[in-house]
Amino acid sequence: MIASNTIQFPSKASKKIEPSPRITLSEKNNVWQEKTIKRLEELIRLEIGWDGYQGIAVSLENVLFTLNMLEKICKWNTEAPQIVPGYSGDLQVEWHTLNGDLELHVEKPNKVNAWFWHVKDDSEGEELQLKNDFSKVAEWVKAITESPVAAESAAA
Amino acid sequence: MPDTLNRPDYLPDFNNPPLNEVVLGVQFSQPNGYQQILAGKVWDLFREDYPLVQEQMPLQPTFEVFGLPSQGTIINHLNFGVGSLLHSRYWFLNKNGDELIQFQQNRLLHNWRKIGDQANQYPRFESMIQRFEGELNKFQNYVNSLETQELQINQCEISYINHIVGINGITNFSDWLNFISDEKMMLDDFNLRFSEVINNNDNKPIGRLVCETSLGITKESNCMILCTFTVRGAPESNTINSAIEFIKKGRDLIVCRFSELTTEKAHEKWGRLK
Repeated sequence: MIASNTIQFPSKASKKIEPSPRITLSEKNNVWQEKTIKRLEELIRLEIGWDGYQGIAVSLENVLFTLNMLEKICKWNTEAPQIVPGYSGDLQVEWHTLNGDLELHVEKPNKVNAWFWHVKDDSEGEELQLKNDFSKVAEWVKAITESPVAAESAAA
Repeated sequence: MPDTLNRPDYLPDFNNPPLNEVVLGVQFSQPNGYQQILAGKVWDLFREDYPLVQEQMPLQPTFEVFGLPSQGTIINHLNFGVGSLLHSRYWFLNKNGDELIQFQQNRLLHNWRKIGDQANQYPRFESMIQRFEGELNKFQNYVNSLETQELQINQCEISYINHIVGINGITNFSDWLNFISDEKMMLDDFNLRFSEVINNNDNKPIGRLVCETSLGITKESNCMILCTFTVRGAPESNTINSAIEFIKKGRDLIVCRFSELTTEKAHEKWGRLK
C-alpha cells in the first residue's frame, strides 16, 4: 500500500545470487498445507445455492484468516483438518482423532468459536470465543494429533 | 515547523524527520450491498479534494494472529487468483499528488508522500488522522445508505517510511542505526526485518510492530537507508473510534521505536526538538 516511486533495490548488491545445488536438509514440506489449500480453493469457488438453498461461497477474508490461524496452531507435521463450508461464507475447521475432537467455527475474521473435547476428559468439552490469539488452540491441536491414546493403551 | 497541536508531550519530535511517506489504513469486511460498479460513487465522496484517479492491483486481506512461533508464511502459495475476487484498488489523488486515498471493497487508506523535489512538508500526524477519521465517517455514511450497517473494521495499520539520505559522506551505517554494528565488519549491504508483538493492557496480543530496513538508491542515484515501521493489528472493536485509537497508539509506538533505534548523531541531523 506504499505509494512512493522509490526504486527499492540494494545499491551494491547487484551481483546475481546463484541457487545452491544442495538440498537444504532443514526444509520440510508441511503435511497439512497442500491438502488444506486445495480444499479452500474449492470452497472459495462454490456456486450460490451449493447447499440446495441459498448458500454462498466461503469468503476470501475467511479463507485468508483461516490460513493465518492454521499457521499459528499447526506444526509442520500436523495432519490436515477437515474443512466444512457454512452457508453464509463462514467455515468450520475440524479434527476428529482417537484422542478427541476439535472444532473451530470461523464466523468472520477475529470471531472464532472453538470447542475441544479430549478422550480423557469426563466433561462435555471446553468452549472458547476467540479473536486473534490461538495459543490455547495450538495446545489442543497438539493434544489430539500427537501421542494417540490408542498407542499409549497398546504400550500399557 | 512541526504542528505541535495535540501532539503528546512524551513523544520525541524532530524538526526535519527523514519521513518519505506515511500510511494510515483500515481493512474491513465488504459492506453488504456494495458492488464494483459503485466504486465511482465512493470516489464522489472524496472527489472535491482528490480529483485524480489511478487504478492499481488490489491488496489481499492480511491478518495478525498469534499462537505458535512463526514458521514462515504460506499465504503466497495460494492460487486463488485474488484479482478475480477483489476489484482494483483505486488511488484518489489530490492535485499535487502528495496525498491520496486508496480504496478497494475491503480497504481504505490515506497516504501522504514526498514528491518532486521532495520539498513538500509532512502535514503531521495530528492533521492526517483527523482527516482520515472524517474520510472513514463519510464512507461509513455511504455504506449505511446501501443497507443499514456499521463498517466492520477487522485490521488497522499505520506505516512510516523513512528515507535516510545524504549518507554518502558517512561510511558507517552505525552512525544512523543503533542496531547495526560495523565496527568488526565492513558491511557492503544489508536487508533486515524484525517484528515484535504488541499487547493490550490485559497483556493479550493485539498486533505487531514490524521494522524493515535495507539499502536503496534515490531517483538521483544517491545511496540511502530505507527504514519502514509498520504497526498492524485488530482494533478493540469493529468501530471507527476503536480503529482511530489503535492507529494513534501505533503512531506512538513507531515514533518511540524510531527514536530508540536511531542514533543521537542522526537525531542531531534531523533537528531533534525533544
